[in-house]
Amino acid sequence: MSDGSNRESAELQLVVFRLKEQAYGADIGQVLEIIRATGITAIPGAPSFVDGVINLRGQVIPVIDTARRLGLPPAVTGEGTRIIIVDVDGITAGLIVDGVSEVLRLPASSVRPAPAAVGGVNAAYLQGIALLEERLIILVDMTRVLQADEKLVLQEIAAAGTDRPDAPDGAQGAGPDGGPDAHGTR
Amino acid sequence: MFTDEEVAVFMEELEEKLQVINDNVLVLEREGESPAVIQEIFRAAHTIKGSSAVMGYEKMSALTHEIENLFDRLRQGTMQVSGQLVDTLFDALDTLKLLKDEITGQAADVDVAGVVARIRACQLSCDAPPAGAAGAAGGGASPAQADAGGAARVPGGDELQRLLAAGLEAAGHAGGGGEGASADGAGVRERGGMPATAGDGGIFTGTGAAGMAADGRAGLSGSVDPVRTPGTGPDAGTTGASAGTRPAGEAGDNRVTGTPPAAEAGRNASAPGAAPPYRTSLPLEEAAEAVVREAEVRGYQAYWLDIGIDRGCQMKSVRAFLIFETLQQIGEIIKSAPPAEELQEGRYGPGFTVLLITKEDPGQVHDLVYSIAEVSSVEVRPVQPGAAPANGRPAAAAAAVGGRAAAKTAPAAAPAANGGVKTVRVDVQKLDTLMNLVGELVIDRTRLDRFVDIFEGKYGSDDLADNIVEISNHLGQVTNDLQEEIMKARMLPVATVFNRLPRMVRDLAHKMGKEIDFVIEGRETELDRNVIEVIGDPLIHLLRNAVDHGIEPPEERLRLGKPRAGRVLLKAAYVESHIVITLSDDGKGMEPARIRQKAVEKGLLTPEQAARAGDREILDLIFTPGFSTARQVSDISGRGVGMDIVRSQIEQINGSVEFTTAPGKGATFTIKLPLTLAIIRALMVALGEQVYAFPLANVVETLALKTEEIRRVRRAEAIVVRGRVLPLVRLTRLFREKGREEGRLSVVILGSAEKKVGVVVDRLIGEQEIVIKSLGGYLGQVPGLSGATILGDGRVALIVDARGIVKETGVEETVYEVNRAM
Repeated sequence: MSDGSNRESAELQLVVFRLKEQAYGADIGQVLEIIRATGITAIPGAPSFVDGVINLRGQVIPVIDTARRLGLPPAVTGEGTRIIIVDVDGITAGLIVDGVSEVLRLPASSVRPAPAAVGGVNAAYLQGIALLEERLIILVDMTRVLQADEKLVLQEIAAAGTDRPDAPDGAQGAGPDGGPDAHGTR
Repeated sequence: MFTDEEVAVFMEELEEKLQVINDNVLVLEREGESPAVIQEIFRAAHTIKGSSAVMGYEKMSALTHEIENLFDRLRQGTMQVSGQLVDTLFDALDTLKLLKDEITGQAADVDVAGVVARIRACQLSCDAPPAGAAGAAGGGASPAQADAGGAARVPGGDELQRLLAAGLEAAGHAGGGGEGASADGAGVRERGGMPATAGDGGIFTGTGAAGMAADGRAGLSGSVDPVRTPGTGPDAGTTGASAGTRPAGEAGDNRVTGTPPAAEAGRNASAPGAAPPYRTSLPLEEAAEAVVREAEVRGYQAYWLDIGIDRGCQMKSVRAFLIFETLQQIGEIIKSAPPAEELQEGRYGPGFTVLLITKEDPGQVHDLVYSIAEVSSVEVRPVQPGAAPANGRPAAAAAAVGGRAAAKTAPAAAPAANGGVKTVRVDVQKLDTLMNLVGELVIDRTRLDRFVDIFEGKYGSDDLADNIVEISNHLGQVTNDLQEEIMKARMLPVATVFNRLPRMVRDLAHKMGKEIDFVIEGRETELDRNVIEVIGDPLIHLLRNAVDHGIEPPEERLRLGKPRAGRVLLKAAYVESHIVITLSDDGKGMEPARIRQKAVEKGLLTPEQAARAGDREILDLIFTPGFSTARQVSDISGRGVGMDIVRSQIEQINGSVEFTTAPGKGATFTIKLPLTLAIIRALMVALGEQVYAFPLANVVETLALKTEEIRRVRRAEAIVVRGRVLPLVRLTRLFREKGREEGRLSVVILGSAEKKVGVVVDRLIGEQEIVIKSLGGYLGQVPGLSGATILGDGRVALIVDARGIVKETGVEETVYEVNRAM
């Protein structure tokens, strides 16, 4: 569908979601579905940006705290909180967002390259920005978000390290290699 | 060229037949000659010869040809089974396996000349040459001479030829016919044993069905994740898919008119070389009719055979070829529909029909054809003798056939479907998906249960409520059955592993100069395919140990008053929801004293520890890494890498291994395995709001504990359970969860290998069967966890990596330190 004819390929379809009052867009081709954020089981020992796992019709799927992943303050669960289930290169994961507003079609020409950092989001995760009349939509590169890029994981671990003392709850984030021996043999 | 799929099918069959040869040669060695065994090997070799020739693997075909010859001689009794012969056969088998590897590219330039020469030498050394078939062929005289020459004991092989010749009024060609006959005399002769061993004819389809079941099984042992579909066992009573599904008109046509292609078929059918030259001027139907009539006079019976071929059959041409070959061993094929050429090129529908004359009874014919792989149905219908005047009869018969076919086409689908497909291949992934969906159903049912409670609470117990309860119960039952069936679909018989072992034991025994009586029981026991993949290595290791260390040399055994041959019994059986594999030997067993001494020598225990430890503890030391009591390190076992790996491999799949031994009497190892890896029993515990699952295989016991009972060893905590000090781990700290830390604590004692660790949890919930789910590729390995499962309420619970925790926890130092302090 998306890469069919010329007319269509010049057009983007985005799922527009909110994080901290900012609108972001994800390529609809990678979005499987959108569900309510309930029943998340935390995973001890997983990276801090992993909120936990959910049961999606019998499949156990990791859920990512999108805000944290993008370098924003962690999300606060509310009425509108949703999980966007995406499939990127065969990996299925859920992304927690503050709300999903719409599905939008827009011409590819309206997308500009992203500046170094928009709204505090690390540019590494961005595909570009779209200006639509008065609105600014930040296009998120899902592949990057899900990529277990070593460098990013390292940054994660560093970040987790710094906020561990003051965030006892959310700081299970010792990264994949950090944890077990440390606790196990104490 | 053949497609990958065709090659795969060929390989599968090859594997199966090699296994048949292997098993039977072992029987031959153990029990001496028996016509049935020789026949089995002969037929397997024959099949390989046929299909490898079709596939163009000439070396394989040549080698199996030699094996076939050898067994032909054995069958006639012109040769005896000897040790040399068995060794040669095993050589040949190994070479065949190499040739198989050559096809897959795992081996190259396999030389068969050597082993072929050995087989021939074997034949030469074993007998005086009998009157050869060659002589008869050379004579080129009458069929009678062919008879005298080589085929005296064949039930009617040459007589048949004569009959064919006569029936076709081919007297003028007597010379040529005779030649054909005599040439075939040799061919037929090799088939002589067939009727004797084709089963005792019993019930029409009984053995055939069994044979087919065996085929299905064997097919499963292939490499392509095949799966047996439950309940598709061959329905012996069902009629041929061929007749059922082919349009009646077409079927009738072929038979009634006997078109020129059918004449061709007739000729091809009686190949190789034996075909008496048909007179082209003679209409086929008359010829065929004459043959049939003549045959009846001479005590032969003519049958129509409707043969259905598996829908999934990949090499129809090969199947047709094999069926023709097989049938020609017991009689002659007069014609076929579609014509033989088309059959041999694989151009036919779900089956075909042949007209066979033979002296065999219909049951044997049926069984014989049915035993060919991928034959899904066989119907043998006699051509009624003397029912109609010569010319009318085939038409009548054909009409009858046509009528039947037509009759079948109407109610068709059911029997056709029944008889047509016995197995399907399903990607295991698909089964997993099915499993997931069933899991969903289970969850919904649990929710429905809850709804029922609410409903009852609200409206009391009335008809509506009762209905809902009934629906809920029924749904539950169906869901359980569904789950069970899908589980079963993932199962394979343990024979897929066991079958490799006898040969290994034999070779090992030869090498070590020991005599072993190796007995296998319970081959048919079924296990999840994942489990099967894992148990091979540990079993091989245990067996090697039994043969190498356990069983004494024959002389020593005699001195000890034991039979010369050591007995090794491998047995698989279901015990509750587990499968238990036991391996016992009547060898020398294990002496705790020697192990104790060895453990001290190796520094595994201090002399004091060794003195204090009980015999059981000492015996269990054999599972310690680096421990081996073998005085001499051989290339078979005794490298000291054995038992600990055996144990860890078995524990990896949530199994356990234990053993008992009595010095001088032998040892018995008991391996307990889950039926499946997908579902385990687990102990559910609560930690804060989260639920965690401990695999029950690793849970030794649970106990309640007061905080005061916790001892401190340096910075670590420990508890004392029945005099033994165990390190204590708090799950809250391990997982950085909030939970209770004080008051009465629940402790789960985990054990893996010889280590034990106590784990503090908030609350014990209870035992439950859980379906194991992976955490997925994104998270990969998360320390402390081995997976996840879905609870009845739809929430995800995490499965604790109990083995990992036990392993990671610094047991040794702590324990020994405390033990010393006590």
